[in-house]
Amino acid sequence: MKKKQGTIILVALSFLLVLGFSTQTLAGETYKMGLSLAITGPTSDAGNPYSKGAEDYVRYVNDEKLLGDDKLVCFIRDDAYKTENTKRNLEDFLDEEIVFYLNYSTGSTMALKQDFEEEKIPVLPASFHAGNLIDSNYIFLPIASYSSQAVGLAEYVAANHKGSGKPKVALFLHPSAFGRGPLGDVKKAIDVGLGIELVEVVEHGKDLDNTAMLKRLKSKGVQYVISQTVQPPVATMLKGAQSLGMIASTYGEAGKITFLGCHYAGGPDLVGLAGSAAENYYWTTSYKLMTAKGPGTEAQFALAKRYGRDDKLANSPNYTNGIMVVQVAVEAMRRAKTKGKKITRANLYEEMLAMNGYNAYYPLTTVGPVTFSKTDREGVDTLQLYVAKGGVFYGVGLPFVSEYVKKIK
Amino acid sequence: MSENRWLATGNFFTSYKAEQRIFLTHVDRLIFVCFLALLFAWPLVFQVSNKYMLVIDSILIAIIAVYGLNLLTGFAGLISIGHAAFVGVGAYSVATFARILGGDHMLLTHYWPLMIIIAGCVGAVFGAIVGLPSLRLRHLYLVIATLSFQMIFQWTINFSRFYDQGQSIAIGRVFWFTGKVVRKQHYFFWYYVILVFAVILGFTVRNLLRTKQGRSLVAVRDNDRAADAMGIHPGFTKVYAFALSGFYAGVAGALHAYLWRGVGFESFTLHHSISYLAMAIVGGLGTLVGSIVGPVAILMLDLQVENLAEFVGHYLTAIGDVATALRPLSFGLVIVLFLMFEPRGIANWWRIIRTYFKLWPFRY
Repeated sequence: MKKKQGTIILVALSFLLVLGFSTQTLAGETYKMGLSLAITGPTSDAGNPYSKGAEDYVRYVNDEKLLGDDKLVCFIRDDAYKTENTKRNLEDFLDEEIVFYLNYSTGSTMALKQDFEEEKIPVLPASFHAGNLIDSNYIFLPIASYSSQAVGLAEYVAANHKGSGKPKVALFLHPSAFGRGPLGDVKKAIDVGLGIELVEVVEHGKDLDNTAMLKRLKSKGVQYVISQTVQPPVATMLKGAQSLGMIASTYGEAGKITFLGCHYAGGPDLVGLAGSAAENYYWTTSYKLMTAKGPGTEAQFALAKRYGRDDKLANSPNYTNGIMVVQVAVEAMRRAKTKGKKITRANLYEEMLAMNGYNAYYPLTTVGPVTFSKTDREGVDTLQLYVAKGGVFYGVGLPFVSEYVKKIK
Repeated sequence: MSENRWLATGNFFTSYKAEQRIFLTHVDRLIFVCFLALLFAWPLVFQVSNKYMLVIDSILIAIIAVYGLNLLTGFAGLISIGHAAFVGVGAYSVATFARILGGDHMLLTHYWPLMIIIAGCVGAVFGAIVGLPSLRLRHLYLVIATLSFQMIFQWTINFSRFYDQGQSIAIGRVFWFTGKVVRKQHYFFWYYVILVFAVILGFTVRNLLRTKQGRSLVAVRDNDRAADAMGIHPGFTKVYAFALSGFYAGVAGALHAYLWRGVGFESFTLHHSISYLAMAIVGGLGTLVGSIVGPVAILMLDLQVENLAEFVGHYLTAIGDVATALRPLSFGLVIVLFLMFEPRGIANWWRIIRTYFKLWPFRY
């Protein structure tokens, strides 16, 4: 009797053991990612919606089982825009054995480059600085670099200038690597024939009044100002220009200045900061805006609604930005899984590099496909020009790819 | 001093030499040795993540930097709000070699102790140069002179092409007898290196204060004309205090460069200078213990407030600006509270505790 009882217990235990293992298999694997960004501190106005975009899309991936039974975990940590904090967060993530990393600022991306190389981990930063790609193999820019954006805007200026002679342009830059990045490439583009005259390069400070600078630009005959910075200094400049009556009411209006800006120098938040002074401000990015109705923007709005986000957040291009980087990482995971590969850093890196030609990725949140290869780690090459009318940014013409960027590469 | 060197229950000094002893009793010495053994042994027993090892290493570097600032401000009475720039000079000394020879050059990766000493010497030279105005300037005017140095440093790095306009300059991984120090060993390895430097430099400060040169710093602080009358050269003493402070800062800067494996402009701003000053004030100006507990207190507080700010910023987005303000707010509040209620810093609490046990079981 005792022997029988023992056999039953043994069988039951074996059954439980097998069940335990199979449940584990059914539950799938867990893939870890890390995101370090400015939720507080400087640029947190962009970082906060960015983090929410990433967070919501990760939740969506798990809720909708986009990776099957496998689960995606994304650690999101605040670095208050300080490289030292970013490094600390990265160390924490690496201890967690993440397979993909999302970074934020230009400074920290540049500073941690050698860590990424050593760890051989694919990285998507929120910084589109072309310098991130120098001496690096594992950093991928989600969209066209600041250089491509600035050269693209300069090309648009050259092609659409109505007056005689070359259009006179000034650059308004952030006093950092992030701001200065495009300067060299704009100069190179001019050297190879881009038809603009670069009259002045201004590195702004924390001035609350730009009257002297604007008057100086006017006296030098500047007709266009291209900004590569963040929104607050642009808003200050636009307000100053408005009070001086300098803002062109139509593109290229004679005797006035037309203001243009790259990704972080524009967008709906700029309208909030500058008010009516942002009217007729031209802005470029590779992201679709919520004003352009379509499947991508509708999906974004549905996502924000699903996770209880307010309208301001749902309409923020930084929310789109956060969604998009996770989309790309998930796509790389999905492709690796489809091919029966294990989700490792090396395999994800391979999948990122293979995202081109027929394998290009169309995330719907951008105006063009995401393409990466060994020689090109700028994701979406296509840009869309937007203009602010009545406090809302609307698309101008069709998406375009900068021609001069190809020439100077 | 009492006859029994183990159980002294008061001050019984019979000579200046006795008063100048590093350890007044054998118990003091024993406690210190045990504490030191603990500092060296705990990483072998407890597993700490890289993230926290990085924090601990950073605290040790701050301690070395604050030794220097305390020598200058606490002992010599010369207020400096450009100390981060001196730390930056040390870090950028290493970065200069990296820019010229490459971050992975043997001089940087194999002869790193030499590089750290060189960085300290460069810091001392800059300290002496910046200290020259102290021959003619005092108090607030001298503060402005040190502030000018901070500004000049920031401007030079930020606009210099050689230093990549303040962007991070990479430093390669160093080598030890066992080979290359890889990521897994990195923070552990540097913990011991920085700890050795912190202990040696701490002893140097303690010993310095027993010498004529050390006492002349205090004499000049208390009354430079009286010091002059006693044969101490106030001008030379002030410049030498700046040079000494620069040396400590330079060493801290070089250690910072190696620990973070790169040098970037944003680690040496005015904000950092004020942080060092806060560490010295909160710890206790003019005390060696203050130089140790100040950085620990401020950096641990910083870490906790950061966690709180992250929580607020992440979950209470409507008051995101409050989250951003938490750090400077708490930082400022701590300094104000210490200045108001405990101007002698945390070191004074340590003094009270020691005094209590020294006289125990008697009340006085």
